[in-house]
Amino acid sequence: MSAPPEKPILVAQEVHRHFEGMRAVDGVSIEVVPGHITGIIGPNGAGKSTFLAVLAGTLPATSGTIIFDGSEITRIPAYLRARRGLVRTFQLPSEFARLTVLENLLVAAPGNRGDSLWGALLGPRYWMADENRLVAQARDLLKRFGMSAKESDYAGIMSGGQKRLIEIMRALMLRPRCLLLDEPMSGVHPRVVEEIQYYLQSLRAGGLTILMVEHELHLVEQLCDSVVVMAQGKVIGSGTMTSLRRQREIVDAYLVG
Amino acid sequence: MNTYYAANLLVYAAVDIIACIALNLQFGVSGIVNFSFIVFQAAGAYAAAVLSMPPDTASGYDFQIYVGGFQLPFPLPWIGGAIAGGLLSIPVGFVVLRKLRSDYQAIALLVTSIIANTVITNARPFLNGAAGLALVPQPLQDQIDPVSDSYQYFYIGLSALSVVLVWFVASRIVNSPFGRSLRAMRDNEVAASALGKNPVALKMMIFIVGGVIAGLSGAILVGFIQLWAPSVWLYPETIILFAAVIVGGRGNNLGAVLGALLVPVGFEEVTRLLPNQFDLGGLVITPQVGLIPALQWVAIGLLIIGFLWFRPEGVRPEPRRVFEGSPDPSEVELVSTA
Repeated sequence: MSAPPEKPILVAQEVHRHFEGMRAVDGVSIEVVPGHITGIIGPNGAGKSTFLAVLAGTLPATSGTIIFDGSEITRIPAYLRARRGLVRTFQLPSEFARLTVLENLLVAAPGNRGDSLWGALLGPRYWMADENRLVAQARDLLKRFGMSAKESDYAGIMSGGQKRLIEIMRALMLRPRCLLLDEPMSGVHPRVVEEIQYYLQSLRAGGLTILMVEHELHLVEQLCDSVVVMAQGKVIGSGTMTSLRRQREIVDAYLVG
Repeated sequence: MNTYYAANLLVYAAVDIIACIALNLQFGVSGIVNFSFIVFQAAGAYAAAVLSMPPDTASGYDFQIYVGGFQLPFPLPWIGGAIAGGLLSIPVGFVVLRKLRSDYQAIALLVTSIIANTVITNARPFLNGAAGLALVPQPLQDQIDPVSDSYQYFYIGLSALSVVLVWFVASRIVNSPFGRSLRAMRDNEVAASALGKNPVALKMMIFIVGGVIAGLSGAILVGFIQLWAPSVWLYPETIILFAAVIVGGRGNNLGAVLGALLVPVGFEEVTRLLPNQFDLGGLVITPQVGLIPALQWVAIGLLIIGFLWFRPEGVRPEPRRVFEGSPDPSEVELVSTA
């Protein structure tokens, strides 16, 4: 007997995103189970990244409903979704190039009294305690991800793989409840892929929910508890990788060729 | 060099330094290409002028027409000038900064600058049109004789005090977590909003702060030169300040100060020293009137291009912020290979 299914943390109902008639996301409905890693796979142009952007609020939905943690978030802007704990990363490197690695992490951390105009004007004495606490927190993360030595280097000069790690660490500084990852392994050295994989697994073990777009099927197979297959803006199947491999039309659409 | 010349030079330097610090907050730190910066300086100057002048019906002032004329004592006109710069930033920022992409923001702000100047030039009853305002009273002129050396020192002191105040505010902002958020937004706005930063709010705030400081710079200038007209705040004035910030070093307050001293102050003074005619071994060339100022613009353009090409980070680049307790990379390398 399996336990009754947990209430989903993130729900999309009939979400559409059209670009001048082009239906990039065409009525997608999914439910993300808390504490799971859910994968989204599909051919190029299937609308995976657009869907993720709509979930995070980077792009507004044309229609449909998005519910996060029991409340509707369809119309609220990206920064408020992030503050509620729904945090995304990007497919292309999106580091703050002229901030150091440590600063990239610090800037993401909420709860710094110096992070407002008035706080800034009141001076370091007012916010230094927060700053020190967050520096310690950021250094813990850097250590876990093996990037302590790089903390004072500009993020812009890091390698592609290091930028990926920075982005994941930066998202973690927000203490997210659900992480949306857009191809976190793309363009990354195989050894770093293994590292990222390891970190994602340990994050799941810590209770974090992850929804990730990924192309590498073997990674999806190893990491994801369940998988959603998208093609031409629609969900054409979902379940575990093993069950998906048995479905003829999905195999035809994506899994081979 | 007499006191008046020195005062002229130093007050202009202070005004340019203050303006460059404000523009650096907006452009260097936050990435807002504010091509209408000079409008906010003008707003401060006009506000300070009409707050300190008598009504346009008063004798000696009845050759001009303008709104206001409140005869407020110093420092109220200066404070009013700063507030005017900030207030004007709200509608402009609201229209320009909310929806437009940053390159279009720059265009919209440039157009704003041109429109504002045209409107003020042609709407004479508002601020006396193209002729501008004259006989603007100087701060505390009834207590200290403005035509005295000691008044020049007094004005230099006031300007210096303003520079210190603005420097203090700007460094608190730049060196705070708030300043870090501004820099993050500058580097990647979409990523910053995905991390819980509200880019519109951040931009509006620094736009208003910059407007307040710009307004103060205008108030200081108008109290010194005693006149203000559309011809002194044409849009190219903003370009000079941009050149200063780029040359000095974007994102660095000290760079903004250096840039102010090198470009607007330095350039003006250097061209003043050029002779009226050149003697090239018997061949005497007398440049046309207006050639030197025109060449000055060419030089400003070349300066901007040259710096962007060869030293885009400027004379004093934005500092890299290393936190206390940062590991020495060589040490870490040693540990990991041991």
